[in-house]
Amino acid sequence: MASHVYLLFTLALYAVGALHVLLQALTRRKLLTSWTVTATLAGFALHTASLSQRWTEAGHFPAVGLHDVSSFLAWAVVLVFLMTYTRTRVEALGLAVYPVAFALVLVSNMTPAAETDDPILKGLFLPIHATLAFFGYAALFVAFAMGLLYLIQERELKSRSPRRFYYIVPSLERCDSIGGRSVEVGFGFLTLAILTGMLWSHRARGVYWTGDAKEWTALIAWVLYVALILARHRSGWGGRRAALLGIAGFAAVVLTFVWVTVASGVASAAR
Amino acid sequence: MILVVGLSHRTSPLAVRESLAFSREVLADALRRMRDEAGVPEAMILSTCNRVELYGRGQQVEAAGRRLEEFLCGFHRRPLEEVAPYLYRLAGPDAVRHAFRVAASLESMVIGEPQILGQVKEAYQAAEQAGTLGSALNALRNRSLAAAKRARAETGIGQNAVSVSYVAVELARKIFGELRDKNVLLVGAGKMSELAARHLVRSGARASVLGGRTFERAEELAAALGGRAAPFESLRSELAAADIVISGTGAPGIVIRREDVEHVRSARRGRYLRPLFLIDIAVPRDIDPAAGKLEGVFLYDLDDLRSVAEANLRERQKEAAAAEGLVEREVREFLEWQKSLDVVPLLVELRQRADEIRRRELDRARRRLGPLSAEQEAALEAATTAIVNKLLHSPTVQLKEIARNGGAAEQVAFIRKLLGL
Repeated sequence: MASHVYLLFTLALYAVGALHVLLQALTRRKLLTSWTVTATLAGFALHTASLSQRWTEAGHFPAVGLHDVSSFLAWAVVLVFLMTYTRTRVEALGLAVYPVAFALVLVSNMTPAAETDDPILKGLFLPIHATLAFFGYAALFVAFAMGLLYLIQERELKSRSPRRFYYIVPSLERCDSIGGRSVEVGFGFLTLAILTGMLWSHRARGVYWTGDAKEWTALIAWVLYVALILARHRSGWGGRRAALLGIAGFAAVVLTFVWVTVASGVASAAR
Repeated sequence: MILVVGLSHRTSPLAVRESLAFSREVLADALRRMRDEAGVPEAMILSTCNRVELYGRGQQVEAAGRRLEEFLCGFHRRPLEEVAPYLYRLAGPDAVRHAFRVAASLESMVIGEPQILGQVKEAYQAAEQAGTLGSALNALRNRSLAAAKRARAETGIGQNAVSVSYVAVELARKIFGELRDKNVLLVGAGKMSELAARHLVRSGARASVLGGRTFERAEELAAALGGRAAPFESLRSELAAADIVISGTGAPGIVIRREDVEHVRSARRGRYLRPLFLIDIAVPRDIDPAAGKLEGVFLYDLDDLRSVAEANLRERQKEAAAAEGLVEREVREFLEWQKSLDVVPLLVELRQRADEIRRRELDRARRRLGPLSAEQEAALEAATTAIVNKLLHSPTVQLKEIARNGGAAEQVAFIRKLLGL
């Protein structure tokens, strides 16, 4: 049960990050200190160890059932956040990432691991499909968070009497460009995830498209993102509308995700 | 011991400070006269519009302080009785703390204002050039300036604009991020528009100026900003290319209507949703307030800019507490370090140690020699004491000399090591 122990420590370290970021937001403006970053890096290392341990324990890639899925998703979100942070130094992103990472790891800690030895989970399709999907979700989550930050900062600026968030949140242009970039990256992963999912379904069941609700939601989210990216490139769409679409797209993704994890517990091809 | 005598915006009205200020031209002369007349081995004068302060080093605090006050009044030919109520006098740790706080702009009228650091630097430089800066004040310079820089870098006291023209720049940054290659349109060529535009151009923005009745003025300003001038009739086409508009005409009514902005924003599809920052610094206002309701348009008038400046000042004051803590820690470190320079405890220790050795060796000798007569006992005592005194004479003189010159930590540390103390 070593993966559980690792995960518990991970939870504690992410909690440090979450609490610290929120406290800093209430008192001062420097959101991320070296303490927060160190705690997060340590948490992330333990998290990685936990996942790898869990892989051995489960005998298949740890992306099946709520316990594994939420843990893996938190891992991807933290990784994408750390990568975004090293590139852009946008600290306000931590306000969205830390609580979410903490909540996901908490859920994982509180749910039992699903034990299944379905032969369909043995191949390479599960690791590839799941990894692509999770990185896609994580990048789209960052886009969602940047969209929210955009709307918040826009409200602050429109109000003409800036309060706390005016000082914390980066400029509109930055929220917009980072959000746009994250959408593109997330969309790429999402597309690949959908393609591998179809291939997997074909291999397992002989059909590419089963037509269940989960596939439809995925498709709707995908179309939304196509529209968003096209609008941005073709007619200079950006700012508020892009932020709103990014948020809507992510809502569709969350819907898909909740459907899969809660309703079925296993990726569609595995059912 | 470091001494400070002076007056500031907290203790005195501007007229008094003016009458006691030292201009750049007289500074070198004043520094040398201060050293000679007030009898302080080291001297520095900080003279800004908010404070006039004399920094010196001296032994008798009371007397040296008095002489500094007399010099300050004498130099400006003002009677001391008149000036005395405005003066403060600080010595030792208090003077050190004051020097640190002034450099970190914690004593400034606007906390965190950036000029003071440069002014303090220049004051020390002037003293160095005049040859009145010794090791004590030089150490104070190094440590207080380093602490001030740390306070600025590690706390938010220097952050957030507190003047209207800087607030405009800061807001532009919050909207556009980078200002490089952004187009600034000036409508009307007033003083305040020019100031704000200058800040923007310095950050890489391009300026164009719309001329009104006096086109020459617009051309002049455009040349000064490295931009171009355009006639007022081309308002809409200029507006279409602009990211930031600063309007400050003397016109009695609205100059930029909501329709103008709407028209411009729907005319060019490619840039339809890019933000537009409208700054209205005219009284009465130039820009229709309704224009600020359009999507992606941010409209600030003079009152809005002022209220942002006030909010920023409140943020700074919150940060001041953190800066105070940081500076206080630096002050304590400096005082500790200063104490380590003090040679008096070293001299006492040295003497005690030598006497201890003398006694011990004397006892051993007595045991071997057996009973001695009173004369023999006295002679032995005198001889050993003389040896100790003669050996210690030169180190004592030298140490006192080092202390008189302000001392150097490395020297004292080396001597301690050498003597095994």
